[in-house]
Amino acid sequence: MIVPLALLVGALCLALGAWAAWFVVRDRAVVLRQLWGAAAIEGALVLQAAIAGVLAATGSPDVDGVLLWGYVLTQALVLPIAAAWAFAERTRWSSVVLLVAAVTVAFLEFRLLQIWGTV
Amino acid sequence: MTDTSRRTGSGPGRLLVAVYGILALAATARGIYQVATKLDEAPVAYLLSLGAGLVYVVATVALATDRRRLAWWTVSIEMVGVLTVGVLSLVDVGDFPDETVWSAFGQGYGYVPLVLPFLGLVWLWRTGSRARTQDVPATSDDLG
Repeated sequence: MIVPLALLVGALCLALGAWAAWFVVRDRAVVLRQLWGAAAIEGALVLQAAIAGVLAATGSPDVDGVLLWGYVLTQALVLPIAAAWAFAERTRWSSVVLLVAAVTVAFLEFRLLQIWGTV
Repeated sequence: MTDTSRRTGSGPGRLLVAVYGILALAATARGIYQVATKLDEAPVAYLLSLGAGLVYVVATVALATDRRRLAWWTVSIEMVGVLTVGVLSLVDVGDFPDETVWSAFGQGYGYVPLVLPFLGLVWLWRTGSRARTQDVPATSDDLG
């Protein structure tokens, strides 16, 4: 785990969450631009997973593999599901779901840092 | 709007399904992990943990696909579960509720497991009563 990348992921998630929260207040459904934002976060997560894989394979920190990959996998699933919902639910509630999803990914990122032993 | 508002998985129901889904994922993954790696430490608690997770999975699917009866059952089981295990963990009966979603009324999950079944039942009740008032004519004299 690279701390700057993790911080970037967290910051992007909170930014996306704030954007979604603004849409909730304005009674608007998720727009495509927000999904591009979610896709950028997803890209960062994939990059992070790849780095974590290499670091874990070389055995730099002694982490619980099952726990780590469980979190990595879970974290990767959240935003795509919220994005799929954004197409199905064209009301403010898609924004609520995107807000929850973004906060969840940020929280999982924090837990990942804990598991990795950097927090 | 009239048609979709009756379905448990649309509108505000999306939020419910989303939070249920996250909890289902978290609890089930944790349960599998606990049962797979350290079942002998506290078998009852870890099997309960996994069972609770699976109930959340079923509840999520039931809410998402508008299966009301199943949703009522699973959400009710959760309410009983979180209240029972919550009380038991407070009075501290041995190592029974060690690390489950329902321990200390779901404290480890921001009390979401405690709040969620109440919201779930309110949502089921509201969408259900709305469906009834739309379906049944005003002059109906049925007892149901």
